[in-house]
Amino acid sequence: MTITSHGEELILDKERALYLPKHQLLAISDLHLGKSAHFRQAGVQVPSTIAQSDLHRLSLLIEKYKPETLLINGDMFHHGLNADIDDFAVWQKQYQNLHLLLVKGNHDRLTSADYAAMHIEIHEPSFCLGPFCFIHDAPQNTKEELYPISGHIHPGVTIVGKAKQRLKFPCFYFGNEYAVLPAFSLFTGLYNIYPKTKERIFAVTPGNVLEV
Amino acid sequence: MDQTKTKGYKKIKSWLKLNKRKPFQFQEDAWQYYLNGYSGLVNAPTGFGKTFSLFLAVVIEALNASEINNKKAKDRLQLIWITPLRSLAKDVARAMRETLLELDLDWHVGVRNGDTSQAEKVQQKKSMPEILLITPESLHLLLAQKGSSTLFKNLKCIVADEWHELLGSKRGVLVELAVSRIKGLQKLEKNQFLRVWGISATIGNIEEALDVLEPNLEAKRIIVKADLEKKIIIKSIIPDDIETLPWAGHLGLKLAYKLLPIIEKSKTTLIFINTRGQSEMWYQHLLNLEPELAGRIAIHHGSIDFELRNWIEDALHTGQLKAVIATSSLDLGVDFKPVDTVVQVGSPKGVARFLQRAGRSGHSPHEVSKIYFLPTHALELVEAAAIKEAAKNNNIESREPFIMVFDTLVQYLVTLAIGDGFDDKIIFEEIKNTHAFKLILPEEWSWVMQFITSGGDSLGAYNEFKKVTKDEDGLWKVKSRQLAMRHRLHIGTIVSDAMLKVKFLSGGYIGMVEEYFVTRLKAGDNFRLAGRVLEFVQVKDMTVIVRNSKQKNAISPSWNGGRLPLSSNLGAVLRRKYNEALDKTHQDEELDSVYPLFLLQEKRSHVPRNDELLIELINNKEGFHLFAYPFEGRLVHEVLAALVAYRLSKLLPISFSIAMNDYGFELLSETEIPMDESIAYEVFSPKNLTDDITLSINSTEMARRKFRDIACISGLVFQGYPGKYVANKHLQSSAGLFFNVFSDYDKHNLLLRQAYDEVFYQQLEEPRLAAALDRIQNGAIIITNPESFTPLSFPIKVDSLRENMSSEELEQRIARMKAESEKII
Repeated sequence: MTITSHGEELILDKERALYLPKHQLLAISDLHLGKSAHFRQAGVQVPSTIAQSDLHRLSLLIEKYKPETLLINGDMFHHGLNADIDDFAVWQKQYQNLHLLLVKGNHDRLTSADYAAMHIEIHEPSFCLGPFCFIHDAPQNTKEELYPISGHIHPGVTIVGKAKQRLKFPCFYFGNEYAVLPAFSLFTGLYNIYPKTKERIFAVTPGNVLEV
Repeated sequence: MDQTKTKGYKKIKSWLKLNKRKPFQFQEDAWQYYLNGYSGLVNAPTGFGKTFSLFLAVVIEALNASEINNKKAKDRLQLIWITPLRSLAKDVARAMRETLLELDLDWHVGVRNGDTSQAEKVQQKKSMPEILLITPESLHLLLAQKGSSTLFKNLKCIVADEWHELLGSKRGVLVELAVSRIKGLQKLEKNQFLRVWGISATIGNIEEALDVLEPNLEAKRIIVKADLEKKIIIKSIIPDDIETLPWAGHLGLKLAYKLLPIIEKSKTTLIFINTRGQSEMWYQHLLNLEPELAGRIAIHHGSIDFELRNWIEDALHTGQLKAVIATSSLDLGVDFKPVDTVVQVGSPKGVARFLQRAGRSGHSPHEVSKIYFLPTHALELVEAAAIKEAAKNNNIESREPFIMVFDTLVQYLVTLAIGDGFDDKIIFEEIKNTHAFKLILPEEWSWVMQFITSGGDSLGAYNEFKKVTKDEDGLWKVKSRQLAMRHRLHIGTIVSDAMLKVKFLSGGYIGMVEEYFVTRLKAGDNFRLAGRVLEFVQVKDMTVIVRNSKQKNAISPSWNGGRLPLSSNLGAVLRRKYNEALDKTHQDEELDSVYPLFLLQEKRSHVPRNDELLIELINNKEGFHLFAYPFEGRLVHEVLAALVAYRLSKLLPISFSIAMNDYGFELLSETEIPMDESIAYEVFSPKNLTDDITLSINSTEMARRKFRDIACISGLVFQGYPGKYVANKHLQSSAGLFFNVFSDYDKHNLLLRQAYDEVFYQQLEEPRLAAALDRIQNGAIIITNPESFTPLSFPIKVDSLRENMSSEELEQRIARMKAESEKII
């Protein structure tokens, strides 16, 4: 689905990604790579194929949009170095020319050397581009002129219909003050958000992105 | 060996004689069988000394033995007494200690459960008592201790008290597993004198109850049944005017004033309320009605602090209290002598539970138990009539034992691994000999072993999974202390939401509330706990700090407890009572009083006969409602509703919201529901049942809800522990998320399969559903179109727990939902 925000065209992809055609930039948030391995190290049996599957979805997006830049809007790595992150290093070799940006989130605690080794350019606390400012956790009342695009909360929306029907989906949120991207990783929960008037919500269904 | 010639028996007999008592025949029988090496089950009504039938058996044998045990030895444990409730242990221990003192037998009686102090546990580790009273969970915690495998060398007997209560839950499986391990340890020592006994109230499947406890059919096994009957008087509290009772609801405060004279004329009254939240409201309400009761009534439930509960139990013993409002926390065998009256508020949903609660009064042999039933809504009067009849005919439910619960097996194996470790070949043999896992296949066992050792799959170049590893001595163990500590905090199969302790600013604990409830409180808000109104101050170090409030009224926390489903025995009687009510072919005063309601039901719609299925179609601004009344109980209706919804949704794209209660279910749709007689026979057909049920379960949330418990029990999700567990944020996740990732990435996961199996076998009882559908096919289906809700439909409509089922395209459905309401939450 394509929308216009602050005079720029934005593509909302059902694989929980945002594409900015003008800047050839693909943005995702909350990748949480290494979460499954971190759980497994602690003796919790999360399927080890989750990280591979998230990376595979990311590959498909890169093939689809052929971006110059991949921006990860925080929480790229869930915890410390582990097997999933080794897998990432291997995966990354396919995309030598892809410019990789990380806006640091609360989970991103690797050393600068570790990021440098993976050719990840670090931005802290935000990375601004055109009318937008990518930041992991949006300030509630921003005085800045730029429109913040955040992640962090893993937004979800519940739709309530007649006859007591309800549906819940991950979503993109474009509020009056800031926007929130859905969490990219499938091994994440949902935090329900409640839009105010004139704010836009786009539900991510298995087959599509729909405004609700 | 004839026991009457033994010195132990003679000593017991003369001691009893000294106290002017005589053993009951079933007690003597139990002693004799025990002496002859039997395992078995004692079945007797409450109040006739079931405890002594087994405790004294072990004592007699000890008195017969000439040599005295080494008092210092670590392994002097003789008898393990498993109790389902902590409050029971204290009482039984007191009775045992008094007896041992009078018999001059120098044995120690120890209690070990969640309330036992750390110091006492350390003391027990140094030197075990001869008799240990323990909960199933604490027994597993014992197995999780290093060095525990040497403790059971001289153990003679394991008794599972109130076995009927444990049998129908996963806690029963905990008992089975612990027994299998202790037997195995004795076998290694070539010491096989262990006998396993259960004490059970009457249940429908008493033989099976024995099979679960002692599955070895070649062992000496016996059921010792007391030929004694307990007299019970059952009385309903009937409203003067049926209009005073609401059509739906669970609280029943309208009739509370009728309790006051009952409380007044009784010595002590126990008032059973089905949930903790409602018990708080009842306490408040009774005090408002009769301020004179202040200080003479108390409230007792599982979320009240241990010290406070202790005080109430002591006050009950000494007769200081006029009435106690209780939940299932006082259900079982505690013997409070002054209690002569019991009140049950709201339907107990089963005959066994009702009789059990009645037995709390008139506890001594040959005394009469007296129970009053107080209905919370009008139709419960019919349930009261049904319960009375079922109780009279001794039509008591079965407790179905759990089988193939992989979550409990996974937990057990990790428990052994943090204790002394285990040999997988030996343990496989042991569990194959339990009732719960006798059908386990070698490949299922391999899966379970793989799950705890390599995290479910062994793919990938290297495996970062760490939990259970093989030690140099060849045993499987957990090496990480942190992992072991976390596991210990989560041993058990009772799953509840994270709880926080509640404490006064000035010190002193009051009880516990759910974390979810606390998150909604602001400083200065008031809530009720343990019968007090408390003002919320703050949450500090996982503890809720409060002070006494001057407010009279406040909200009650709602503790999430499961709602009890109506048993099938009761359902059948209930159907018949509906006929009798309208035809006036009965002698039940309850049915007389509810008669005007039946007239109204008949006027607006129809009162279904025994061989009829009533379907009501009601159209209003909420949407199109379809109500059907098979009277099979909530759990079966949940599956049946999904099945009917699924079959209707095959006819055209349609979305349903589903609700149910014990009488029937509701399908609610935004579009008109296709229904006529031929469609009705088709959607209630037993044809193609298994496939259709599978598909309908897949398209609802039933299995996902079952998985919530499974994820906790198997250790995937950590619930936290009141006041003790510091949340490890990096490892927090939800059962729903695991359900999703297993469904997507690990379809063959046995825990996932267990969730579906639990719906299919435990909840659904396929034979029961098939029988219901056959009954419907052979009877008449009556379809009515009432203009407004009927006495039967109203209670279902107001029920809040709902399922969804849809065959519409998702995008169309969203578009439609969006168009019809702008509301998004």
